[in-house]
Amino acid sequence: MSSHAIAEDNSRIAAPDRSRNTVRRFVGDTALLTARSLRSIPRVPERLLDVTIQPIIFILLFLYVFGSAIHVVGIDYKNYLFPGILGQSLAFGVIGAGVATSNDMTEGVVDRFRSLPISRLSIITGQVMGQFCEALLGLTITVVVGLLLGWDPHLTLAHGIELLALMMLAVLAFTWTGVLFGMIVRSPDAMQGMGFIIILPLTFMAGTFVPIEGLDAVPRAIAQWDPISALVATVRKLTEGYPSHGSWQLDHPEVAMVMWCVLLLAICVPLALRRFNRTLAS
Amino acid sequence: MLTPEATRSNSAAIEAEGLTKRFGEFTAVDALDLHVETGTVVSLLGPNGAGKTTMVRMLATLLRPDGGSARIAGHDVVGEAERVRRAISLTGQFAALDKNLTARENLVLMARLRGHGRGAARAIAKELIERFDIEEFHDRLVKNLSGGQRRRVDLAAGLIDKPQLLVLDEPTTGLDPRSRQVVWSTVRELVAEGVTLLLTTQYLEEADALADRVVLIDHGREIAAGTPAQLKAQVGEQRVDVLAPDGAALEQLREALDGRFETAIAREQRTISIPAPAEVEDLARVTQAIKASGIAVDEIALRRPTLDDAFLALTGHPVEDGEQSDSEQAPNIRDRAESPEKEGVTR
Repeated sequence: MSSHAIAEDNSRIAAPDRSRNTVRRFVGDTALLTARSLRSIPRVPERLLDVTIQPIIFILLFLYVFGSAIHVVGIDYKNYLFPGILGQSLAFGVIGAGVATSNDMTEGVVDRFRSLPISRLSIITGQVMGQFCEALLGLTITVVVGLLLGWDPHLTLAHGIELLALMMLAVLAFTWTGVLFGMIVRSPDAMQGMGFIIILPLTFMAGTFVPIEGLDAVPRAIAQWDPISALVATVRKLTEGYPSHGSWQLDHPEVAMVMWCVLLLAICVPLALRRFNRTLAS
Repeated sequence: MLTPEATRSNSAAIEAEGLTKRFGEFTAVDALDLHVETGTVVSLLGPNGAGKTTMVRMLATLLRPDGGSARIAGHDVVGEAERVRRAISLTGQFAALDKNLTARENLVLMARLRGHGRGAARAIAKELIERFDIEEFHDRLVKNLSGGQRRRVDLAAGLIDKPQLLVLDEPTTGLDPRSRQVVWSTVRELVAEGVTLLLTTQYLEEADALADRVVLIDHGREIAAGTPAQLKAQVGEQRVDVLAPDGAALEQLREALDGRFETAIAREQRTISIPAPAEVEDLARVTQAIKASGIAVDEIALRRPTLDDAFLALTGHPVEDGEQSDSEQAPNIRDRAESPEKEGVTR
């Protein structure tokens, strides 16, 4: 608290006029806030657990423990399993995004951002972008581990591009869903618990590890309309050419998946934005 | 502040009229008026749940008022929120920093979000780091800093651009006495530079030390307002409290002191309380009288009036449950955590 700094203070150049182009400003603020989210990844590596270690554990468990008792007709179990794991780890992105968001909301930092003359929308888009990148990183790790353990996807270039695009759409939809949950739940622990109670069972009932056809009536009905089923069926169809059956969405997995994603985005984006403006406002 | 549009020299820093905020049935801020002249320091003083934070959040455009209006540096908090945000800097009760960034990274980020380029943002961070004695720990992650260190970074982050109005919400709650002194001296420096400051606090002592004017609030309403001197005059001066070892000694003490001092006795507490307008001199006189009487006592202490004394003096009842700091609670639920069924205090 040296006194010479006080004199300097008065000579400080004022902040540039922030009323400049709204779009540029939105993009700039989003970029700054996304960078802020990404910077914390190496510092809180445990945040990546949901999207990295967890899928790897499931891979190992199902490949080397339960897999020995599971036989799926017409496909090597390894190649049946990895598309499932991929779908599951995408869905876990909901939990990751939710926990990170509720963490942010319980800290004062979002309040600070909100009291700054920045684009308010950028606070939430920065959050979404950060989570989006984090989920993609987790996904990449899962794919690499899968390939190392002998997953052998039969991808054409066209299917590869289609798969990538669809997965990014799914990551985006799940991230927004997680951000919305994170704002509603408000406590990282509760978010974690909610993920365990809702997301985890849904990922198991999606034809992820065992075919849906063999399930009992009730879980089968859930599985046939579980959005994660459409995702898993899409990945399996595109990488292995392996078809899924049992409901309209399983017969047309890509279409169903896009519809689910659009539906999730149509619900979660406006709700999250509304919630964001209200959450801290009360 | 040097941006031309931000300068409206004739308007008061804060002009709030009938500001009201309800959370369901509970009225957190009840038709509160607040007027803060540019260049002055005003303190909102009140116990926990009095509505201080809610008031401040409305002024900082973080909460939408349910009634009344407020202008910051001439700009309406609802209609011209963006302008208000440019004029105001709020440092909340809870360190508003990204705990996974270092102190320096936080300052650079805030500067960049305020529209400074990369180079300028770094220069500003450097200057603030020097000014707030942050050098020692500027490369540590905020989550690893002590409460006092965080507060300093937090204060620095609030001063990226010299604000027209600085709002500090309970800047020393939860700090140890040494850190509190550091915050106080920083605030005094800012005030000397002419910063307009709105400060909320639970400590009468803090309002007294820093503010030109104090507004005492409870249940979202103003109970009293004035200079610290006026308020203290209403509350009463310092007192000497004498604690006796037992009831018999207490009566002996009273006999010994009665003729010479104006004593008030609290038998349950085994305490005799004597007004001490001359402070230390009165303490010395009481001590001497006790020594001369030869009666043993447990404790003799000079006591400043506290927020509790102020409440007792001004409202006729003590603070209800405000003495417990709930600083661990999330900021957004804190004012609602108050029980809604309590009755409002009338002036």
